[in-house]
Amino acid sequence: MPAEHRKLSVAALARVFLRNGAFTFGGGDATTASLQRELVANRGWLSEQQFGACYAVSRVTPGTNLLAFCTAAGWTLLGWRGALWGLLLASIPGAAVLMLMTGVYRTALGNPWFASAIHAALAAAVGVMLAAVWTLLRVPLRRTPARAAIVTLPALLLSVYGWASPLEVLALAAGFGLLAPGRDAA
Amino acid sequence: MSLGLLYLLLLKATLISFSGLASLPVVRDELVLQYGVLSDAQLNAAVALARAAPGPFGGYVISVGYFVGGVGGGIAGWLALITPALLAVPLVHYVARRAAHPRARSVVDAIVMASAALILAATVPIATQALGSAALIVIAGMSALALAATTLDTVWVMAAAAAAGLLAAWFGTPL
Repeated sequence: MPAEHRKLSVAALARVFLRNGAFTFGGGDATTASLQRELVANRGWLSEQQFGACYAVSRVTPGTNLLAFCTAAGWTLLGWRGALWGLLLASIPGAAVLMLMTGVYRTALGNPWFASAIHAALAAAVGVMLAAVWTLLRVPLRRTPARAAIVTLPALLLSVYGWASPLEVLALAAGFGLLAPGRDAA
Repeated sequence: MSLGLLYLLLLKATLISFSGLASLPVVRDELVLQYGVLSDAQLNAAVALARAAPGPFGGYVISVGYFVGGVGGGIAGWLALITPALLAVPLVHYVARRAAHPRARSVVDAIVMASAALILAATVPIATQALGSAALIVIAGMSALALAATTLDTVWVMAAAAAAGLLAAWFGTPL
């Protein structure tokens, strides 16, 4: 196991993955943002550096980024047990809901009550993502604002305008980090 | 179509993609055009359903599997969705072993900042689609503020938003 987390149990980690897998709408990025809040900001189980490593790995792993992130985060925290629980619990609730909805899809998509609740949850997912951005950037912005601006602004522009894929953006950031080490690495 | 073949075809699609809907062209080519076991309308419905359900948008392959093979097909789709994620373990193991090196820390710090930019960039299309009224913008803003200013769990914020949506529908003004 790569890290010791004596207060962290499989059950506690499973609860976090289960809740986020079952209740976070808005796709993988929203769920990753939600998990960042729970694992990094609220509980401190993952450091921001560990989160960054898991996030980067999830982007270079084929398939669905969110599930690769949950597997990587679970493995970082509790080894294989964490990886498997993370993968299963982040995917099973959504899969069950999706199969149920597929079975009754005409009703599900046309029901105004259901649609209203989903629309509101998607709006909240936007808020979740904005809060995650703030959580990730507030320390770099305070400690090394110029460095934070040099990395984040081009990354944002490249991504928003589709000039580079997420994978390429992360590779460019990694190259910058390698060639221009920060204060800690100097 | 056997469930084994369905799993392999969907796995092929998920293995050669790096984000949620990037596997869509392969799924359409295999199941709609070559095997003819799925219609374009069902494929569109699968994408729409995945956007309305919790979890990743790439989960549409579960709906695709369900349309093709019922519950067994849905499970085959789920297995095809989760299998590639196991590749993350050796990758993160490799990264973690080098994490203590100062230059590695610098690289990861830069990646964390770029990750924030990527999440922000991913927010733009979702916000454009999701925030179609003043009430929804208010919900998004209040959610962001509540999460930034407190240690409230995300799940409660999502649940409160969904409850607000139900309440709005109750009063005859669905969101």
